[in-house]
Amino acid sequence: MVWDNILLAFAEIGNLETILLMTLGVGVGLLAGAIPGFTIAMAVVLTLPFTFSMPPEQGLAVMVSVLVGGLSGGLMSGILTGIPGTPSSVATTFDGFPMARKGEPGLALGIGVWSSFCGGMFSAVMLVLFAPQLARIGLEFHPQDFFMLVIFALTVTASLAGRDLVKGLIAGALGLLVRTVGEDDAVGMARFDFGSDALLGGFDFIAVLIGLFAFSQLLADVRDPEAARRSLTDRGNVRVRIEHWRAIKVIAVHWTTMLRSALIGVFVGILPGTGGSIANILAYDQAKKASKHPEKFGTGVPEGIIAPETSNNAVEGGALTPLIALGIPGDVTTAIMLGALLMHDVVPSPSFISEEPVLAYSIFIAFFAANFIMLGMQSVMLRVFVLVTRVRMYMLTAVILGFASIGVFAINNVTFDVWTLFWFGLVGFAMRQLGFPLAPMILGVVLGNIAELNLSRSLAISTDLTLFVTRPWSLFFLTISLFSAAFPWFQAASARGVRWAGLYGPAMLVAVGLPLAMMGGSVRPGLAALSASFGIYLGWKVVRRMKAA
Amino acid sequence: MTRVNRDTVVAILLLVGCGVLLTASLDIREPDYGQLSPAAWPRTVVGVLALLSLIYLVQSIRRGVPDEAAAPAEKARRGLGAWIAHWRNVFWVFALFLAYLLALPWLGMLVGGLAFVFLLLNALGGWSPDKLALHAVIAVVSVGGMWSVFTFGLGVLLPRGELFGWF
Repeated sequence: MVWDNILLAFAEIGNLETILLMTLGVGVGLLAGAIPGFTIAMAVVLTLPFTFSMPPEQGLAVMVSVLVGGLSGGLMSGILTGIPGTPSSVATTFDGFPMARKGEPGLALGIGVWSSFCGGMFSAVMLVLFAPQLARIGLEFHPQDFFMLVIFALTVTASLAGRDLVKGLIAGALGLLVRTVGEDDAVGMARFDFGSDALLGGFDFIAVLIGLFAFSQLLADVRDPEAARRSLTDRGNVRVRIEHWRAIKVIAVHWTTMLRSALIGVFVGILPGTGGSIANILAYDQAKKASKHPEKFGTGVPEGIIAPETSNNAVEGGALTPLIALGIPGDVTTAIMLGALLMHDVVPSPSFISEEPVLAYSIFIAFFAANFIMLGMQSVMLRVFVLVTRVRMYMLTAVILGFASIGVFAINNVTFDVWTLFWFGLVGFAMRQLGFPLAPMILGVVLGNIAELNLSRSLAISTDLTLFVTRPWSLFFLTISLFSAAFPWFQAASARGVRWAGLYGPAMLVAVGLPLAMMGGSVRPGLAALSASFGIYLGWKVVRRMKAA
Repeated sequence: MTRVNRDTVVAILLLVGCGVLLTASLDIREPDYGQLSPAAWPRTVVGVLALLSLIYLVQSIRRGVPDEAAAPAEKARRGLGAWIAHWRNVFWVFALFLAYLLALPWLGMLVGGLAFVFLLLNALGGWSPDKLALHAVIAVVSVGGMWSVFTFGLGVLLPRGELFGWF
C-alpha cells in the first residue's frame, strides 16, 4: 500500500512537465536567494498565484523547489560579493568571502553548494522518518490540544521574531483579527463587513500574505533613492568555475561539522518561528567552538562555510515536519506552503499522511528531487547571477509589483484582491517602520481559522474550559507557551547578569514534567521524571551559586 | 515626533481601533444553534489586542527617552520638505499603484499594468531619454509576458478596460 502510494507520487512528480517546472522553480529560488534584499519567503509567496491552476502535487513540488533553491542561492552573493543574499547565509560570508578573496572562489562555492546539498538531503531523510512518527503522536491530539498548539506557535514566533515581545504579540493578534473579517466558517454569519459586499467575502489570505511580505519588502528596498538606483552588487569576483571534486573531498574530511550542523538545522527548523537565519549563526558558532583552531575562523576555513550552509538547508526539512505531521507551520515559508495547501482545499492534520498519502509522498519526493536539481542548476545560475548583479533594485521592484498585481487577481478573478494587496502592503510597510515583526502576523493570518475552528470544536465536544489545562497535551503546549512568552525577559535578565535568570531553564524542565507525567504509559512518565530531576538538579546548582555569591 | 511619542500614538490608534471593532462586533448576529457564538472569537482576539495595546501604551509612556538608533531617521524627517524627500520613493509606489487600481476599469490590466510599471520605473529610476527607452522595453516585456502567460497559458480572464476593449 505504501509502495503503491510512493509509485503514484513518483508518477505525479516524475513527469517531464513537473520536472521542468521544478527546474524553473529551483532557478527562480536560486536567483531570489542570491539577490540581496529579496527574501526566500517573498519568492515563495510570489510563486503561489502561478501554482493555483496546477494539480496540488505539482504546485507543491514547484513551491518546494523555489524554497530549496532560495535556501541555496544566498551563498552565491555571500561568497562572491560578501553581501549575504538572505539572512540564512549571513554566517557563510564570514569565511566564504575571505576564501574567495584568497583566490579560491571556486572551492568556496563548491563547499557551499555541496554542504547545502548534504544539509537538504539529511533533512529530507529526517522529514520522511519523523513526519509519520510525529503524525502518530498528533492523532492523540483533541481540538483543545490543537488550539493550544496554535497559541504556542504564535507565542514562540512573537518571542523570537523581534526584541519586543509585546509588539510581536500585537502583530500575531492582528493576524488573527484579519481572518475574522467576513462570513465565519461555522455558521456563515457576517463579521466586521461594515455593510460592504467585498468585505463580506473576507480578505483572501494569499493577497494578504503577498501584500504584507512582498509589497512591504519591495517598498523598504527602494526607500533610499540612491540605493534603489545602484546595481544589486558591484563588489567581488563573479567569473568563476565551481570546483566540485575538491569540495567533496574537503567536506568528507569535515563530515562531523556537516553532521552536527545538519542536526542543528533540523532541530531549529522544527521549532515554530525559527528558521535559517538562526540556524546558520548557531551552527557556525558551534563549529567554531568545536574546532581545534577557532582563531582561524573568519579567515576562510572550510568549516566556516560547511556549518552555515548545511544547517540553513537542513532547516526546511525540519520546518516541513510539523506542517505535514500536524498542520502547524514551522516558519514563515512553511506558513505560505500551508497557504498553498489550503488553496487546493487540502487541510494538513495528523491524518494528512494517511488521508492524502500521494500528496504527502509527493512533497517528500519533491524535496529530494529539488536538492538534486539545485546541485545541477548552481553552475548554470551562477552565469545568470552575473547578469542579475547588473540589475537595479528599482527595476526589480517595478516589475515584481506588476507581476504581483496580475498574480493576485488571478487567484479568485476579483479586483478586490488587488486592493487587498495594496492595503496590506501599506500595513506591512508601516509595521516594518514601526518595529513590529511581520512573522507573527503572517502566522496569525494563516493559523487564525485553524485556531477558531478548534476552539469551536472543543466547545462542541464539551463546554468545560478546564479541559484546556487538564488535558496533558493542552497543558504541555500552554506551559511551553508561557515559558516562550517569558523568554525575552529571561534573555534581558541573563544579559544584565541577574541571578534568577539562571532558574529559567530548570523551572521549564520541572514544569514540562507535569503534563508529560499525566500522559500515561511508561515512556512519557519516565521522561517526565528525568526532566523534573534534571531541572531540580540544575536549579539546586543555581541556588547554591546564588548563595555563594 | 520622538520615538516614544510615536509608539504612544500607535498604541492609542490601536486602542481606538479595538474600540471600533468591539462596537462592530455587537452587530454580529447570534444564531440559535452552535456552541461558539460567531462573535466570541473576534471579541476574544480584539480583547487580547486591546490588552496588549494597553501594555504597549504604558511601556511607551514609561520608556521616556527616545531610542538612540532611531535618531538619525528622526533628523531626516525634520521639516516637511525633508520628510517628503525621505519617503519620496514610497509615495511614488503607493500613488502609482493607487492610480493603477483606480484606472483598472478603464485601462484594463494589460494597458494599466504597462503604464504602471513604465511610470514607476521612471519615477524611481529617473526620466532621462536613454532610460525612457529601456524602461519602456522592460515594461512591455515584463507585463506583456506575464499577461500572455496568464491569458493564454493559464486561461485566466484578466480585467479588460472599457477604453481598450479586448485588452
